[in-house]
Amino acid sequence: MIHQLIDLAGRSSLNRRRFMESTAKMTLGVTLGSTFLGRTPAKAQAAAAGAGKATSLIYIYLGGGMSHLDTFDPKTSKDVMGGTELISTKADPIKLGSLLPKLAEHAPKMAVINSMFSTNGAHEQGEYIMRTGYNKISTIVHPTVGPFAQELLGRRGKILPDSVVVGQSTSNAGYLDPALSPLPIADPSGGVPNTMLLTEQDRFDRRMEIANRLGKQFIEKYKYNGPKSYVEYYDQANNLLKSTELEAFDLTGESGREAFGMNRLGQGCLLARRLVEKGVRVVEVVSGGWDMHENVQTRLQERVPELDQALSALFEDLEQRGLLATTLVALGTEFGRTPDINPNSGRDHHPAAYSTMLAGGGIKGGIVYGASDKQGKKVAENPVKPEDFLATIGHAMGVPLDQTIYSPSRRPFTFANDGKPIEALFA
Amino acid sequence: MNRIRQCILTVAIILAATLLPRGEAREWTSTDGRKLQAVFVGIQGDKIELKLANGQSVSVPKDRLIPADAEAAERFAVLGDDSFTKMSARNIDNLLAQTLVKNGFKSFNDPLPDDLFVRRVYLDIIGRIPTREEFQKFADSPRPDKREALIDELLIHPGRASHLFNYFADMYRLTAAGDFNNGIRMEPYIQWWKDSLTQNKTYDQIVREMVTATGNIGHNPAAGFLLRDAGMEFDAFSNFGQVLLGIDVSCAQCHDHPFEEWTMEDFYSMAAFFGQTQRTLSSYKTEDAMGMVKAEMPGAPAGWLEQFRTFARGKGINFDDPAASRQFGWYTTFLGWNLADIETRITPVPESVYDVGGKVFDPGTLIGKPAKAGGKSRREALADWLTDPENPRFAVVIANRMWTRAFGRGLVNPVHDFSDDDIKNASQMQTLAFVTNEMKRVNYDLREFMRILYNTRAYQSISTAEEPDAADKYFFQGPVLRRMRAEQAWDSLTLLGEGPEIDTRKGRDGSFLRELLKVDFEKETMDMVFAKYEAFSSNRGETMGLAVATEPGSLSPGQAINEGLRASEMVQPAAAASLLDTFGQSDRFVTDQHNFDGSVPQVLALMNGGVTSSLTGSASKLVTDLEKFDGPDDKVRGVFATLLSRFPTEEELSLGMKMMEDYGDDGIRDLGWALINSPEFLYIQ
Repeated sequence: MIHQLIDLAGRSSLNRRRFMESTAKMTLGVTLGSTFLGRTPAKAQAAAAGAGKATSLIYIYLGGGMSHLDTFDPKTSKDVMGGTELISTKADPIKLGSLLPKLAEHAPKMAVINSMFSTNGAHEQGEYIMRTGYNKISTIVHPTVGPFAQELLGRRGKILPDSVVVGQSTSNAGYLDPALSPLPIADPSGGVPNTMLLTEQDRFDRRMEIANRLGKQFIEKYKYNGPKSYVEYYDQANNLLKSTELEAFDLTGESGREAFGMNRLGQGCLLARRLVEKGVRVVEVVSGGWDMHENVQTRLQERVPELDQALSALFEDLEQRGLLATTLVALGTEFGRTPDINPNSGRDHHPAAYSTMLAGGGIKGGIVYGASDKQGKKVAENPVKPEDFLATIGHAMGVPLDQTIYSPSRRPFTFANDGKPIEALFA
Repeated sequence: MNRIRQCILTVAIILAATLLPRGEAREWTSTDGRKLQAVFVGIQGDKIELKLANGQSVSVPKDRLIPADAEAAERFAVLGDDSFTKMSARNIDNLLAQTLVKNGFKSFNDPLPDDLFVRRVYLDIIGRIPTREEFQKFADSPRPDKREALIDELLIHPGRASHLFNYFADMYRLTAAGDFNNGIRMEPYIQWWKDSLTQNKTYDQIVREMVTATGNIGHNPAAGFLLRDAGMEFDAFSNFGQVLLGIDVSCAQCHDHPFEEWTMEDFYSMAAFFGQTQRTLSSYKTEDAMGMVKAEMPGAPAGWLEQFRTFARGKGINFDDPAASRQFGWYTTFLGWNLADIETRITPVPESVYDVGGKVFDPGTLIGKPAKAGGKSRREALADWLTDPENPRFAVVIANRMWTRAFGRGLVNPVHDFSDDDIKNASQMQTLAFVTNEMKRVNYDLREFMRILYNTRAYQSISTAEEPDAADKYFFQGPVLRRMRAEQAWDSLTLLGEGPEIDTRKGRDGSFLRELLKVDFEKETMDMVFAKYEAFSSNRGETMGLAVATEPGSLSPGQAINEGLRASEMVQPAAAASLLDTFGQSDRFVTDQHNFDGSVPQVLALMNGGVTSSLTGSASKLVTDLEKFDGPDDKVRGVFATLLSRFPTEEELSLGMKMMEDYGDDGIRDLGWALINSPEFLYIQ
């Protein structure tokens, strides 16, 4: 049961298989069949418009609920703007809040969705559906985008994981194989901690082998996912330790750090770009602090300029490296914030209308999809549910949206819970 | 139907309590071999008072009893006699067993062997693994009652409060500072939690104090409960429902509940119990004749705040300097964050909410009977309603949560959101009803309640070998296999490096900050308040919460200790990317967020991290600790006892001895490393 962790080539047999698969994909543009991978093959995707151009995804998730009015959906009415001004951008249809001047320059790359709505007014539930496409329930845990994409598209990386979540210290793959769990990087500037071995390699290998022998009985005694997942994590950690790819996580030598902003969001975006460059399929950058029930103007000054700088730097960097065409950049949040300013000068939760943004990876730039009403209170046209937003992401990535996956308890699920991709966003 | 059943059960319990069968009382043995069946009453001087089955009281000198019984009397003096405890435990076992048999199980899982028992109770009760000495002491003890004695001993141990604190810190989202406390430092409130648990304050009392607190966090640290969510009252109410009623009503905040009968009106009516509660400083603003807005200090005479500013200016505070001005503002804001109930205050539903936006609701209970106002404040009426024995949710929620702590799975799930139907359809529905009533019988004494559970045969069974599916019914043939909480892993690793001194080592103590915010505006002069401000100003930041009250009234902060502390004594919660965070400690953003998943960074921390380095490096405590052992076989046994609290199997022993033969003490280090890095270390079997 315990697998031999490392063979002489520094790669497990499983990884060799993955390597062959990824080589095949690179050279032939095909996914190897299921018999080879031991899982159901992805159904051939109908050649829908713009599908599959995004080979990677950077999903920036702003936890707490980003005020749509102060960012991507500003209004002319002073009543609801509470101090933020509306500014024009390089792409006429797109207007932004006045704290996003840098991003205004990049508007031609962006498709802004101003007609998001959700039925979840609580943070946890709202975030859950924005990241999984499903409502949070008590009997099952749904996977996020990274593990689900890997399940459907197959593993791509040799050493590096296919998905990474930055700004979060734990992660899971929901009901999918724990081996698909995104690698959590709590602090982007800290990279992957504890990668220096305590002893020389030989002795480390000896220790590891003994640990495996001693752990075997316990692993076999209890048929639980938990202990088994640890075996998988030891495997992944060992692979990572032996590879040079680990450097991708180390931002210290990176010359462009300052441009992204020396904060978690900025450095998270920089790390995401480095990982995408190394072939990681999905990087989620999770950043909190957007729950502004009090003194919203002060709080916006703390957060929005960071977002402005980080996103702008990310766009510039991806463009310069020629990665924007194949990298989908998505910005999500659990809900917007109330048009009324509350007695504490703050804005409360507002799931009835909010904004998200997509760019790169086959997305048509310089457009606004959907709209909220004059006050930003309700959706006025082309409503978009969280499921549709994720379906759009999946569509860009070439994920077969209609393919059913069964959980171990035999419950059927699809990538975005049958959400409909917004085809109008694709070039 | 359910009510009737509950009544019958209650009656049965009361009957059982009055007609205590003879056999339930403990047998006390004198040094000359005479035996006596009696219930412990108390200790008077050096005499132990016992009550016989016929009601007669006897007084026995301590030294006339055998040591085991004299020791039992000491425990009982704190915990009370255990005859009810054991009877209750047996009742639970009987109820569980009946249902198990009905569902095709022979009985419980096999009984837990001593070694697994000792590790489990240490982790479950005091939140860390036992030391090798503690393990050995238990293994060597020939006493037949050694399990119940150890359970009692641990229930009196200071680690119990520490471990239970970690649970409540997650449930009640305790954070020292940060975005969601409106900048208020919460150390006094956190300290109040720790003190309450150390004193074993009853849970209904803890809740009552939190729900009804008035004043600021210095006057009344329990005010932290409501101040934590000031500015997000309705979200706070969603949390309140999950934590205290086991109902997640958060969706009814924006729309009627999709599955239950709750409407938005229900939600806002229930939330209206807090509708007259003033939490922030901002509403204390008054307009003067010129139309200028002035803030007033709650509880202080009119104009106090302005006078204090003038006084501070006289003392040299330069308000033109933004930093100094901000510093002063922080202190006065802290002082001002205050809970009060104001009858004229109304809290309308936010305009943005569909259908009910702008409306003002009268308080109404979501479930059960209406709350009785009776001239009390709305919050007092709410506290009465919550803790009333007839409240249909309060007792079952906390009983089920405590059950989950012992068994790894609730009798009804998830613990923060279950319906009445879920209760009716619970796999062990009678047990659920029984423990709910037991929670009331013990008057919400959580220590006594846990004492009952730990004494059950069900708890003292081997963990179920196959993971039960979350969607399937589980009948509690034993606990499920559980991974340690982040805090258990941290405390265990810290124990290995530092020894059991960590159990009494104090880190953060909120009493210093509490003193600075406890201002009596009637009695204290401006000079006295200014002295508090100065102490605040010079100790702001991280050191604030580290202050230890060295002597009464002393305003000097204590020394910061950053290492060698148990998780409960550290900043709440631990920093991102710290070991605690890596192992899943909740960020305290929403309730019950502890994460038990594994990850690559976790295993890297165990492979290459600082703790492993100190345990298996050149100055390895593991090695020095075993120096007194002669033979390599004893050393190998010692490593297993230290890390896994068990003896090695034959195969493991010979593997360990081979390693010592080949590599000497380095073999011990390698073995220690291997055991920390085998998944067994992180699990509670």
